Amino acid sequence: MIFKLEDVTVYFPYDNIYPEQYSYMLELKRALDAKGHCLLEMPTGTGKTIALLSLITSYVLSKPENPVKLIYCTRTVHEMEKTLAELKLLHNYQTRHLGPAAKILAIGLSSRKNLCVNSRVLAAENRDSVDAACRKRTASWVRALAAENPNIETCEFFENYEKAASAAVLPPGVYTLQDLRAFGKQQGWCPYFLARHMVQFANVVVYSYQYLLDPKVAGIISKEMQKESVVVFDEAHNIDNVCIEALSVSVRRQTLEGATRNLSRINQEIERFKATDAGRLRAEYNRLVEGLALRGNLPNAWLSNPALPSDILKEAVPGNIRRAEHFLHVLRRLVQYLRGRLETENVEKEGPVSFVASITAHAGIDQKTLRFCYERLHSLMLTLEITDTDEFLHIQTICDFATLVGTYTRGFSIIIEPFDERMPHIPDPVLQLSCHDASLAVKPVFDRFQSVVITSGTLSPIDLYPRLLNFHPVVSRSFKMSLTRDCICPMVLTRGSDQLPVSTKFDMRSDPGVARNYGKLLVEMVSIVPDGIVCFFVSYSYMDEIIATWNDSGILKEIMQHKLVFIETQDVVETTLALDNYRKACDCGRGAVFFSVARGKVAEGIDFDRHYGRLVIMFGVPFQYTLSKILLARLEYLRDTFQIKEGDFLTFDALRQAAQCVGRVIRSKADYGMMIFADKRYSRHDKRSKLPGWILSHLRDAHLNLSTDMALHIAREFLRKMAQPYDKAGSIGRKTLLSQADLEKMTNDGSINEMLY
Amino acid sequence: MKNSERSRLNGEAEEEDDEEENLNGGLEAWERSYADDRSWEALQEDESGFLRPIDNSAIYHAQYRRRLRGRSLTVATARIQKGLIRYLYIVIDLSRAAAEMDFRPSRMVVVAKQVEAFVREFFDQNPLSQIGLVTVKDGVANCLTDLGGSPESHIKALMGKLGCSGDSSIQNALDLVHGLLNQIPSYGHREVLILYSALSTCDPGDIMETIQKCKESKIRCSVIGLSAEMFICKHLCQETGGTYSVALDESHSKELILEHAPPPPAIAEFAIASLIKMGFPQRAGEGSISICSCHKEVKIGVGYTCPRCKARVCELPTECRICGLQLVSSPHLARSYHHLFPIAPFDEATPSRLNDLHNISRSTCFGCQQSLLASGNKAGLCVACPKCKKHFCLECDIYIHESLHNCPGCESLRQSNPVVANEG
Repeated sequence: MIFKLEDVTVYFPYDNIYPEQYSYMLELKRALDAKGHCLLEMPTGTGKTIALLSLITSYVLSKPENPVKLIYCTRTVHEMEKTLAELKLLHNYQTRHLGPAAKILAIGLSSRKNLCVNSRVLAAENRDSVDAACRKRTASWVRALAAENPNIETCEFFENYEKAASAAVLPPGVYTLQDLRAFGKQQGWCPYFLARHMVQFANVVVYSYQYLLDPKVAGIISKEMQKESVVVFDEAHNIDNVCIEALSVSVRRQTLEGATRNLSRINQEIERFKATDAGRLRAEYNRLVEGLALRGNLPNAWLSNPALPSDILKEAVPGNIRRAEHFLHVLRRLVQYLRGRLETENVEKEGPVSFVASITAHAGIDQKTLRFCYERLHSLMLTLEITDTDEFLHIQTICDFATLVGTYTRGFSIIIEPFDERMPHIPDPVLQLSCHDASLAVKPVFDRFQSVVITSGTLSPIDLYPRLLNFHPVVSRSFKMSLTRDCICPMVLTRGSDQLPVSTKFDMRSDPGVARNYGKLLVEMVSIVPDGIVCFFVSYSYMDEIIATWNDSGILKEIMQHKLVFIETQDVVETTLALDNYRKACDCGRGAVFFSVARGKVAEGIDFDRHYGRLVIMFGVPFQYTLSKILLARLEYLRDTFQIKEGDFLTFDALRQAAQCVGRVIRSKADYGMMIFADKRYSRHDKRSKLPGWILSHLRDAHLNLSTDMALHIAREFLRKMAQPYDKAGSIGRKTLLSQADLEKMTNDGSINEMLY
Repeated sequence: MKNSERSRLNGEAEEEDDEEENLNGGLEAWERSYADDRSWEALQEDESGFLRPIDNSAIYHAQYRRRLRGRSLTVATARIQKGLIRYLYIVIDLSRAAAEMDFRPSRMVVVAKQVEAFVREFFDQNPLSQIGLVTVKDGVANCLTDLGGSPESHIKALMGKLGCSGDSSIQNALDLVHGLLNQIPSYGHREVLILYSALSTCDPGDIMETIQKCKESKIRCSVIGLSAEMFICKHLCQETGGTYSVALDESHSKELILEHAPPPPAIAEFAIASLIKMGFPQRAGEGSISICSCHKEVKIGVGYTCPRCKARVCELPTECRICGLQLVSSPHLARSYHHLFPIAPFDEATPSRLNDLHNISRSTCFGCQQSLLASGNKAGLCVACPKCKKHFCLECDIYIHESLHNCPGCESLRQSNPVVANEG
C-alpha cells in the first residue's frame, strides 16, 4: 500500500498496516524532520523492523535533495539476515512501483567467519582463527613474498578482488550475507573485502553493534560514514551493557602468562628483523617521531574515538616507546606490575587516577605512555609483519587495558578480586577495569550522526535510557499493541497453594516451603497447559538448588509424567541440543518444560513462539548479584553522576530482564501466551510499574495477587478462549488492521489522531 | 466479673480457632458445591459497574457465521459434491485426563453422553453411513465396536466400558483406525473423529509418519479438544483436511460434536459416481407376528421386511442380517437431499438501515416477528437473505440454516408470486 504521511509518500509492502505501525512511522518521521535522536518502544511481533525500514527508505525517496544513509545495528547475525530479507521485500515493492528511481544498495557486514568463501580459511573453528587464517593469505607482505615464491599460499578470491581494483563494485540491490557470498563466489571476488569497501557507497548498511560502539572496531569500519546518517539500534534494551562491555577489560593470570609469551615472541621477531632488515624498524621509528596524524593509514576524519581523544592525533608517540625494544621493556614492566597486583589477598578497589599513580611509582610508566600502548602495539605488529593475530590476543588485552586506564580519569574503576565470591576456596585472581558510564562509548555516535534511533520491545521505563546514555531525544514514546483479542495473559502470583507468600528474596530463598510451592505451581501448570512451557530462574545456582529439592521431593517425577524436562546449562553445545529436543517434544505432542536462567543465552536470543511457549513462568525477580564489587561501583557512580538511586536502577534492570524473559513467548499477533510472575514482590507498584506498557495494559487488577489455584483457573479459561477461531482483521470499532482505504478515510475525517493517542 | 469476661473472650477465641480449623480441614459439602461450581464466574461487570451474566451469544453467532462462510466456500469449490456414504470411527480418549471434573460430573461422562446424541443425529442425517468406536486407555487403543449402522449397539457398548486411566496416544489410535479403514470400499468416505481430553500424547514412534500415512489413505481426521489447543492435533487436522476445535464448556462441546453430523464435502479424488445396491423394505402389517432377525425374538406388528430375503428387521436404516443388503426408507434418502442444496448464507445487515421509518417491516424478524432492535438503544445484529432481502434475527438465522433448510422469505415469495417461482 502507498499512503501519504504528512509530506512523505510511504511505500509499504503489505496490503494492510497495523495502527501502531502507522503511529510509529509518524513519530519516527518527526524525529527525522527535527534531525534529532529518538527512543521508541514497540512490542515485538508488531512489525517494527518493516515499519522502520519502509519509512526511512520512503523518506529518502521523497526528499532526494538530502540523501540519508541508514545504518542499522542488530545484535545477532540471525537478526541481520532477517532485517535484510525484509528490506529485500520492501525494495522489490518499491522498484515495482517506482521503477529504477528506487534503486538502492543495501549490504550486511559481518565478520570474516560469516562472509568468507575460501574453504581452507573457513576450516578454522572460531572467529579469531578465521581472521588470522585470512590475514596469513592477504597481508600485503605475504602477497609480496608470494609474488616471488609461488609456494606461499594466497587467497584467490582476494587476488581477484585486488586485480579488479576499482571495477570491483556491487550493482545496486539488497544483499544478505548469503547473497554476498553467492555474488563473491560467482565473480571470484572476496565478499568480505568487497562488502567493507562498499560500505562507504551503500544506502543501507546492516551490521552489528560492535562496529559502531567498540572503539577499536569502529575506527576501522565506521570512520567514513557521513554525518547525514540515521543510525538505528534495534533490540536496544541492553545497549548500556553493550557500551560498558566495549570499554571493560578483565585481566586474569592466564592473560598475563600469555602476554609474557607474546612478548618473548615479539622480542624474537625484533631480533630477527634487526639481523635481516634493520631499515624497517628505523623507518617505523621515524614515522612515529613525525606523529600519528601524518601516518598514512590514519585518516583525518577519524570517528572521534573515546579511546583516542583528539589530542592523541596531534601528539607524537612519546619518546620512551618509539623504539621497539623500549616499548617491549615498558610492556614487560607493566605485565610484571600487574602480576604483582594480582597476588593480593584482599579485594581491592581503586580509581584510574590512583592506579596510574601507582604504576608510575612502581613501574615507572607515566600516563601518557600508557595511553599510547594500543596504537604503538598495533604499529609494531604491522611492522613485524605478524599475521597470526589470534595468538596475540593476550598482549592486545593488556594494551587495551593500558590505553583505557591512561585515557580516562572518571567513570571507571579497577577492581582486584583474589577469588570468586561464590567459591572462596578456589583462588582465581582477576583484575577488572570496569566501565560504569554507558554514555562514554555511545557518545561519539550521538555526536557524529544526525539521528540515532533506539528501539526495542522493552525500553520501560523509557525516561531512564536518556539518563543512562546521556543524550536528549526529541521523541520518546512507548506504543501499545493493538490486538483483536487479549492474546497475552500476564499474572502475578504471590501465594502458593497453601496461601503462604512465595519469593526468591534472600531471606526466603532457602525456605523449603517456597521451593515446594513453586514446585506445586509447575506441577499443576504442566497438567493444564499444552505443548511447551518455559521457566526462568534468577540464577544458575538457584536453579540447581531448586531442581535438586524438587528431585528429592518427587516433584520432578510428577512433572515428568506430563511433560519432558530440559535444562539450560552454561555449555552452549549442550544447551543447543536441549533446545533442539525441546522443540521436537513440542512438535510431536509429548509436551516439554524448559528450565532456563534469566540473563542467560536462552533468555536473550531464543524465541519460544507459538506452541514452543504457551506459558512462561518467571520464578522470582532477577536482580543482579548485588554483592558484586563491579555492580556496587557502578551503582555508586550512577548515583553520583546521574542521580539515579541504587534501588531504582536495580529494579529497572531486574524488571527489564524479566520483561525480556516473558516477552519470548509472543512473537506475533496471531500468537498467544501466558506469563506468570511468581514472586510476591511483583505485586508492589514500584516493581510492577517498570514493566513495559504492552504487558501492563493486559495485567488486570484481578490478576495482581493470585494464589496457585486461582492462577490455574484463569489459565484454563484463557487457553480455552484462545483456542477458538477469530477474525484477524478485528471487528468494527476496534480496527487492528488498516487497509489503504481505511487509512485514507481516517486521515480525512481526522479520526486517525484519535486512534493514535 | 473480669474472670467471666476473660472466659467469654477466651471462648470467642476458641470459636474462631474452631472455624479456622474447619476452613483448613476442608470445606463443608454445601460450600464445596459452590466452590466447584464457580457461579460467580458467569458474571461480568459492564461499563457502569453492574453485574451481568456473560453474554456469549454474540461470540457464538460470529463463530457460527464463520463456519457457515467456510462451508459455503468449500461447497462452491467442490461443486456441492458431498460424501454421503461415510465410514466414521470415533476415537474416545479415556486417559487420566478424562477423569477431570471441569465438566460435570466428569469429562468422560459428558463425552459419553454427547457421543450418544451424536450417534443418533449422525444416523439421522447420514442414513447410509456407518460408525465404529475406538477407545484409548493406558496408551493403548482398543476397538470397542466394529463399523456398523445400528446406533443402539454402539451406545450400549460405550456405556458399558466407561473408566479411565493412564496416558493417551494419538499415534496408536490412528494406526488402529488406519488398519481398519483401509479395508472399506473406495466409494466410502473414511473419517476419524477424535475426542481428546489429554494435553499430551505418548507415542511409541514418529507420529508424523502416521499422519502422512493417514493422509495418503485419504482419511479425514478431525479433533475436538476438551481443554486447550495442541499443536499436534492442529497439524493432524490441517494435513488430513479435517477440522480442529476446542470446547469452551459442555454446551459448546456438544455443538462442536454435532457439527460433524452433516456430511463434509467430498475429497476430489473420490468424487466418482458409483452405484450402490439398496433395499427399501415394506413396513410389516399391523397384526402380523414374526421373529425378527436382529434380536431373535417374537415381535407383533412392528418391523420391516427385507425385499430380497424377506427377513424381518426392527428398525431402519440397517444392513440386513441375512443377505447383507443396505436397508433404508425413502425419507432417509430425502433427508440427505438438503446437504446437496444448502441455502446461501445470509448477509449481515447494517443496523442503520433499521431506523428507516418507511420500512417498518425491516425492524422485525421475518421469521419470528420479534423486534430486531435489541434491548436498550443499541441496535442489535441482524441478517438478510440475499435473494428475498427479508431480515432475520440471529436465532432464526441459525434455525433456518441448521434445521429448516428453507428460507421462509423465499418460500412465501414463491407462493405470492408464482411466475417468479416458475422461473426459479
